[in-house]
Parts: sequence; C-alpha cells; structure tokens
Amino acid sequence: MKLRRNLYLVPITLVATGIVAGGLLLGDLAGRANSGIGVGSRFAGYVQNWTVVLWVCCVVGVVGVIWLIWYCLKLTGGITSITRRLDDNNLMDSCFGGNAKKKRDGNPVINELSRALSERLDSYTNRNIVLERQIQDLQIQIQLSQRQKRNTEAIIYSIRDAVIVIDEFDKLLMANEAAGKLFDFDFRNSQHRPVGELIDTANNEFVDFLHQSRQGKIRHTKREIDFSRDDGPKTFDCIVSCVYDERERVCGVVAVLHDITREKEISQMKNDFVSHVSHELKTPLASITAYSEMLSDGEAEDEQTREEFYSVIQSQAKRLNRLIEDILNVSRIESGLIKVDKKPVSLAILIEEQLQMIKGYAEEKDIEIISQKPIVFDQVYVDKDMISQVIVNLLSNAVKYTPARGSVKIESEVDEIAGMARVSVTDTGVGIPEDELEHVFDKFYRVVANKNCAKGTGLGLNLVKQIVEKVHDGRVFVTSEPGVGSTFVFELPLATTETAEAVKNSGW
Amino acid sequence: MAGKKVLVVDDEIHIVHVVAIKLRNNGFEIVTAANGAEAFELVSSEKPDIIVTDFQMPVMTGLELVEKIRQNEATKDIPVILLTARNFAIEDKQKEDLQISDCLSKPFSPKELLRSIQDILHHKAVVQANR
Repeated sequence: MKLRRNLYLVPITLVATGIVAGGLLLGDLAGRANSGIGVGSRFAGYVQNWTVVLWVCCVVGVVGVIWLIWYCLKLTGGITSITRRLDDNNLMDSCFGGNAKKKRDGNPVINELSRALSERLDSYTNRNIVLERQIQDLQIQIQLSQRQKRNTEAIIYSIRDAVIVIDEFDKLLMANEAAGKLFDFDFRNSQHRPVGELIDTANNEFVDFLHQSRQGKIRHTKREIDFSRDDGPKTFDCIVSCVYDERERVCGVVAVLHDITREKEISQMKNDFVSHVSHELKTPLASITAYSEMLSDGEAEDEQTREEFYSVIQSQAKRLNRLIEDILNVSRIESGLIKVDKKPVSLAILIEEQLQMIKGYAEEKDIEIISQKPIVFDQVYVDKDMISQVIVNLLSNAVKYTPARGSVKIESEVDEIAGMARVSVTDTGVGIPEDELEHVFDKFYRVVANKNCAKGTGLGLNLVKQIVEKVHDGRVFVTSEPGVGSTFVFELPLATTETAEAVKNSGW
Repeated sequence: MAGKKVLVVDDEIHIVHVVAIKLRNNGFEIVTAANGAEAFELVSSEKPDIIVTDFQMPVMTGLELVEKIRQNEATKDIPVILLTARNFAIEDKQKEDLQISDCLSKPFSPKELLRSIQDILHHKAVVQANR
C-alpha cells in the first residue's frame, strides 16, 4: 500500500527533471544566438555535449507529463465508476442482480469502498423492504382484529339474554342491549363505571353474586335470582363465569342472564295440572273401587241396590274416560296429530244433541236451560265430534259455575257477509274478574276466585279455543261481569263452497 | 259400635253414599254434608262421635273444617279421618297439630275405612274408661 501511495512521486520527479532540462536547453539556444557579440564562443564545445543531455531530459519530462495525465485520467475513471455504482444502487436494481459487481474495475481501494458501501446499502434496503412488509402485515392484522371486535360486539349485542362483562375492579367492560334494558342503563356508554352504580340497589343480590363469584374464583356458578322491575317481578337464571388471564389470575367475570319467568310459570302450571289431574282422575276411580268392593263383599242387600252400584260404576268409568280423552285431545291438537273429519253439519242438530246431554246435570243443580227457537238452520263446515265437544264444554262450564236457580242461555245467529255462524252461551253465574279474562283460555288456568266453586282441570276452555281457532279457523271470546254472569261466544265458517275449499286448503 | 254417629263429608255424592251404606250396614248412625261449611253447622247440632271428611271441597276445605272444630271447646276432641285424592296433601306436623287420627288416600277401601273408624273409636273408649 505504501509503495502504491508513492507511485505518484515518480511522474512528478520526471516532470520536474523535464522542466529543469527544458529551461537549460532554452538558455543554451539563447546563448548561441548571442555568440556573435563575443560572450558565448568561449563555451561552444561544452554546450554541444549538454544539449544532448538536455534533449534526453526533455523527452523524460514529456514521458512524465504523459504518465501524470494517464494517472489523472485513471483516478477520474475510478470515481466515475463509484458514482455510477451509487446511481445503480439507488435504482435498487443492483441489489438483486449484482450486475454492477461485474463492471467493477479500476482502483482496488475505491472498489473495496464501493463494495462495502454497496453491501451496507443492500442490507439497509433489504431491512427496509422487510419492515415495510411487516407494517403492511400489521395494518392488515389491525383491520382484521377491528373487524373481529366489531363482529364479536355485534354477536354479543344481538344475544337475547342479558350479557354483562366486568373487570377485576367490578367495573363494567361490556354489556349488551338486553342487559341495558334489564337494568335500565345506557349499555353503549357505560364502560368503566362501577357495576354497583349501574344496577339498582333493589337488585343488590345480583351485584353481590358477581362480586362473590369473582372473589371465590369459581369458574362457573349458577343462581336463580328474582329481579324487581316496573313491569312486575321476573326470575332470571344467572350464570357467572370467571375470566382468567395467562397467569391464571381472575381478570374479570362474564354474567349471562336468561329470563326464566315464563318457564317457571309453565312449570308451576304443569305441577298444578298434575295435581289437578291426579285429583280429577282419582275421584271417579275412588267411586269405582269403593262400589266394586261393596258388590264383591255382598254389601248390596237387594237387587235394586246392586243395580244402583253397577250404574254408579259405569257412570264413573265414563267420567274417567271423558277426562282422559280431554287430556289426550288437548295434547293431540297441540301436536297436530289429531285426525280431523270436516263435513257440512247442521248447527241446530249439534246444539240440540248437546242440550240433551247437559239436561240431567242442569236439573240436578236446578238451573234453567233457555234455548232460542227456531235456531239457525245453516250448515257449518266442521268436525262434528269436535264441535260437539266445544258446545258441551261451554254448556257444562256455564252450569258448573252458576248457582242453583240460575239460568243458562244458548243462542245462534248467522253473519252471511263474514260467512260465519255465531253461537253464544250466557249464564247467570259467578263471572270472571276483568284482569283474568285474557287467561281463561290458557291451558290449566283456573280463575282464582272460582276455584272453590267447582272442580276442573283447567283444560275445557283451552280445548274449546284449540278446536275453534286452530282446527276450524274460527274465533272464540268471552265477556263477563263478576257476580252477574259470563257470555262465551264462538264463530265457525259456514258450509259454503268457498269456505269449504278454503278450509280444505288450509290443511285441516 | 252400635249407635255411634259418623259425620261423612264429601262433595262427591257417590262417595258419601257408599260410605254411608257401608257404615249403616255395620250399625253406625250417619249424618252427611257436601262441604266443610255445611259440616261445621252439623257438628254442633249433631255432635258426631267421629268425622270422615274429604280434603278438597268447594266453599270450605276439609282442613279448614278441622281447624274450626279444634278451636271450639265442645267439638275439639272429635276424632277426624281425612280422605284425600292428593298425594302429600298434608304434612305429618300438620296432621299432629290438628289431631287428625288417620289419613286415607283415594281410591280407598270402604272395608279399610270401617276398620280405621272402629279402631279409633275403640281406642277413644279405652282412653275414656281409663280416666
């Protein structure tokens, strides 16, 4: 390297020698020209030998100048090469192809510098590309997670059950619309508020339950909680689950509240129903058992008593069968399994048949049956057995809930415009309180105040509604005044060709 | 047991009828009522030796009848047999508190009812004789 660095001294020395030699040669030539005056002639031979030397030196000097020029040109060529390489690198082509390396020539120092710079530049460029890709990936990931967050929120918001998520300080992280509605707070703008503040103090049991579940670190806990609300008390099935972080610490809890008010009511109704039904089934069964035992033990002393016992057994067996049929019919109609045989039937004949059936019961209770005559002769398009059941249920209910010496009236009329026949059964019975009117057709429902007036399963009116509305596309409704009486009305389609077709097409 | 008076209370007329026949055939005197309220009126006037009553009845239930009887000094010691078509209609403690002598579930055997009545009256007679 040292040797290389000194190389530039050689042409400089050569050029200096050339310049000195050139100067002396010019001086000699000038001396010769002035020799005529007398000064130079003295040195004439001496000068001739020096001229040759000077000429040689001049040639050497010229060679030195040419070398210097060549050297300068070469130096310039090296820088140009670096500049070109840098330009190439800026274009980034050389980073991948490496074609520039092949072009590298000239000064090894410059080449090395150029290569080092180029490699550094290459690595920076590569890192830049990698980082840019990473940024793009992260941006995509951010977009994805934002979309995922929105989806998750949309899912939680749309859940029908109330969902509440709280952190480890009992502050709200998230709640859905159902939760906001249940506890009456703005579910979108209540984040980070203490849950105890959001939920009314009347519902402290739930707040305590959340707190206890978090403290107890139990993964899932369940409790039935009654909530007091403006629209009446409601029962919710509350499932609280602890959320654990990566260090297995409880970082919050999720509570899901499912409204089971209706299920509880249904469950209670079913329990009541089983209790009613068992009582209703056991009553005729008790008579059958007792009278059979009396007969087999010879307790019936004469033929007349025996006949009486047989007749009681038969009537109680029929009563038992009727009850079982009622239960089965309700269940069959509900499940859509019942066979319906619709035909044009005379409404007058149907009513007359059922009046005969109920006569004995009404006489037993000293109740007058009033039947409008002549009744409607139009035909209705119905299942005869089912509509007989409707009429007998309404008539027997009317007699059942009417005190002795009262009356039960059955009327019918035709609404030709609507294509319907209307039958009404009016009694002078105990009546139904207004707030209970909408429930009388519910399955197993029995009017609270009238429960002690008569026995029943709470199935009769439900069966009426199912038969008239579900099977016959008709309508049934009631008006009543407690202490005065009730009127039950049902409407059925008339047996015209159009209605017959329409009913047939409806699938029944 | 001849001449002992039994008050039979049930809203099911057939049950009252069959119990009455069974007991009459065995020498008992019978008084009947269709519900608790009717029965309560008869208790004071008829002074039965024992009451056989249904549990679930309109107007006044069998349990309400027993509660009222127990409150009255003159009637508080009358033995009562409860007939019921309901399972678990009455708890043991309630049965003890109201001094219900026996509880038969429907369907019941008239023979069994007769035996129960005889046992209770016999026991009552023994207790009274020992006093």
